[in-house]
Amino acid sequence: MRNLGRSVSFGLFLWRTQLIMFLNQTVRSRKPGRLIAVLGGGLVLLILWGWEGFVTALALQASHHVRFDLDVARLFSLGFFAYTGVLVFSSLVFSLNALLLNPDLDLLLVSPQPVEAVLAGRMVVQFLRLLVLSLLFTFPALLVISVGSHNPGILVGFATLFVLYPVWPVVIISLATLFLVRFIPAGRGKEIVTVLSLVLALGINLLNFLFNPALRPGGLRGRRGASPNLPDVPFATGPFTPPGWAGRSAAAILAGHWLPAAGWLLLLLTVSLALFAVGSRLSGRLYLAGWIAAVPPRRHPGGAALARRHGRAIPLLDPVVSAIVIKDWRMRTRDIAQLARFAMPVIFLFVLFGFRSTRLLDSVRSLGGGPVAATLALLPSWVLLLSLSSALGLTAVSLEGRSIWIYNASPNTVLRMLQAKCWSVALPTALAVSIAAAITESLVHPGWLWAVTATGLALVQALAVTSLMVGIGAFFARFDWTDVRRMLHPLAGLLGIIGFLAVVGASALLMAIAVALSSAANLPLPATWLAAIVLSAGGAIVAATFGLLLSAARLRRLEPG
Amino acid sequence: MLSTRLLTKRYGSLTAVEDLDLEVSSGELFGFLGPNGAGKTTTIKMLVGLLRPSSGSARVAGFDILADPEQAKARIGYVPDSATLYDKLSAREFLEFSGDLYHLPRALRNRRIDALLNLFGLADRERDFLSGFSRGMRQKVSLAAALLHDPQVLFLDEPTVGLDPQSARQMKDILEDLCREGKTVFFSTHILEIAERMCTRLAIINRGRLVAVGTLEELRRQAGAESQSLEQIFLELTGSKEEDVGAVLRGLEG
Repeated sequence: MRNLGRSVSFGLFLWRTQLIMFLNQTVRSRKPGRLIAVLGGGLVLLILWGWEGFVTALALQASHHVRFDLDVARLFSLGFFAYTGVLVFSSLVFSLNALLLNPDLDLLLVSPQPVEAVLAGRMVVQFLRLLVLSLLFTFPALLVISVGSHNPGILVGFATLFVLYPVWPVVIISLATLFLVRFIPAGRGKEIVTVLSLVLALGINLLNFLFNPALRPGGLRGRRGASPNLPDVPFATGPFTPPGWAGRSAAAILAGHWLPAAGWLLLLLTVSLALFAVGSRLSGRLYLAGWIAAVPPRRHPGGAALARRHGRAIPLLDPVVSAIVIKDWRMRTRDIAQLARFAMPVIFLFVLFGFRSTRLLDSVRSLGGGPVAATLALLPSWVLLLSLSSALGLTAVSLEGRSIWIYNASPNTVLRMLQAKCWSVALPTALAVSIAAAITESLVHPGWLWAVTATGLALVQALAVTSLMVGIGAFFARFDWTDVRRMLHPLAGLLGIIGFLAVVGASALLMAIAVALSSAANLPLPATWLAAIVLSAGGAIVAATFGLLLSAARLRRLEPG
Repeated sequence: MLSTRLLTKRYGSLTAVEDLDLEVSSGELFGFLGPNGAGKTTTIKMLVGLLRPSSGSARVAGFDILADPEQAKARIGYVPDSATLYDKLSAREFLEFSGDLYHLPRALRNRRIDALLNLFGLADRERDFLSGFSRGMRQKVSLAAALLHDPQVLFLDEPTVGLDPQSARQMKDILEDLCREGKTVFFSTHILEIAERMCTRLAIINRGRLVAVGTLEELRRQAGAESQSLEQIFLELTGSKEEDVGAVLRGLEG
């Protein structure tokens, strides 16, 4: 019990430190940009909370008039079961990050605290974070229900559930991670986390496609009655597992049946405390048993011949530009986190369109040949363009990280670096996008003129949009991060999407105008169509050039390095 | 070879370097000394073109670093205090990249890389990723990259930090050789013994201002103490007090 208390108090101490760090980086930072971001974020949160509260109030009103024959306990059990998936994923990433990537764990472990207390303290921090996250999503709804049903205990009851429920998955995953990382080679943590994220994201998408009734030909029919059919998942809905206890407790809290609610909560509390106590002790032992494998220094694969071949430049490119392009691609392909940024969009495009290709193709072909079908056939290429250009273009300059001094100390201009970055990301993007466009156009058969011009437009758009993304990424470059997820400034991401939508939207609009003008003014359709294509391509190039020049001016002022 | 005129760098209300006037000739091994936060790194970063001065000017190898940065940088080699390199490149790949940035012809670049890797004892690790290198090895790679294009002026910020005694000695020999060849070496250090033994001239900077410049003898005369060591001169000129460390530590015990 004493150990448990020490772990909790150490966790609270860590939590307070993290809160101070958060405040220092936000409201106490005295940086106008950050203060505006905090205020903006707060405002958005308030608006979303207001909306959630409003919708909940409407639903509460409706529930007085319409009778739903719904098994609330089962619904909540299923909800908590689904939440378990989120908990497993988040605690897996959190634990792997803590053990493999963040040096602060070492700092804590050299303090005069038992290893068990440090590891358990970090779990406490996770519970508190998850409580805050849960309340962030549910607070307005719970508040409205509490007030609407004159049952103030609802908020407290659910908050207790939100603290207790994550204990079992977090403890089990933390222990499993401590055990597993003993087999992960040193220095591969980031890659392992990325691969796990990728596998999980793909798995969820595939499962959604395979099991989501909304994606079946019959759609949601059969679920629309007053009595929706809830699936029966024994682990989730039975009375012997944590999701079942949490679901029953939540239903009882909502109904104001406090005795059964307290009973289920007590069961959850007892099991959570026992698991936490056992988990803390075990995690200490696992940690002390040695959690990381030693590996020999990593070498570049291949022999001298390979190294010599790599030493060559890309033909037709300036040597400096070529050196940067080669260096960037080596960095991207050798870092799985970077590689995933490149591979993910392609895989998701396959998942998104590949599985539904027959139905989609039939729909587009039913329009017959011509410019409209050719434009619609560009949709997958545009999705690919957005994914690739934002993943690669926005991080192209930030990829330099703290090593930016190497380029800045060399006798080369900022514009040349931007030029190299454009080559580095625009070429592969343009290649992938134009291949995708050529494939979809050949499948749709809109007619050779429309297909060729549309593919040409996709190629130019890919070059221009990616260059624009490079410019936006350079304007908001972050050189302090080596983690690709953190290199990207949120505002750059937003502006990138706006830029893409502006370029592609303008193209689509011009194409629509071309078709309308041709039929209204009796002009030859190929002429108006070609004019629209030329204008679209020209506009995209102008936008990209403007973005690059602006970012070059900003980079010159930044003095990075 | 190197001259600054009223070189100043301000960050808002903080003046990191103020009105710095320096002249360094060819073949000089120039030591730039100062306590932590004195402005050494800021000065070096301005001289290699990484920071833009708030006012004043600097000429390196005959070129104004502000007006003609590409020409000046082509003649400069730079080794920063903590060499952040590209972790996912091997040592050879990094050097190839550096050579290309300085427009070296490919054959010459490869020849020099081979020679430098051998010189620094890195030939057998040339295909290892830099992520697996120790701080000292990174420092060596960084120095090799700085020497690759045969610069006229070499700037080193705390070059011996992280190096083992053997490598530190090797670096000292290399720097002296470079000066004999007529190159200029400008380096900052905290290790006063190294500065005392190696440098032809020294400058001491404190709180952004140059407090003394000259040979060791000239510094002694400026400090008014003919037989003092560089450490004593340094403490004298930077106004650092020799605290009673023992008393402070005893105070902590209470």
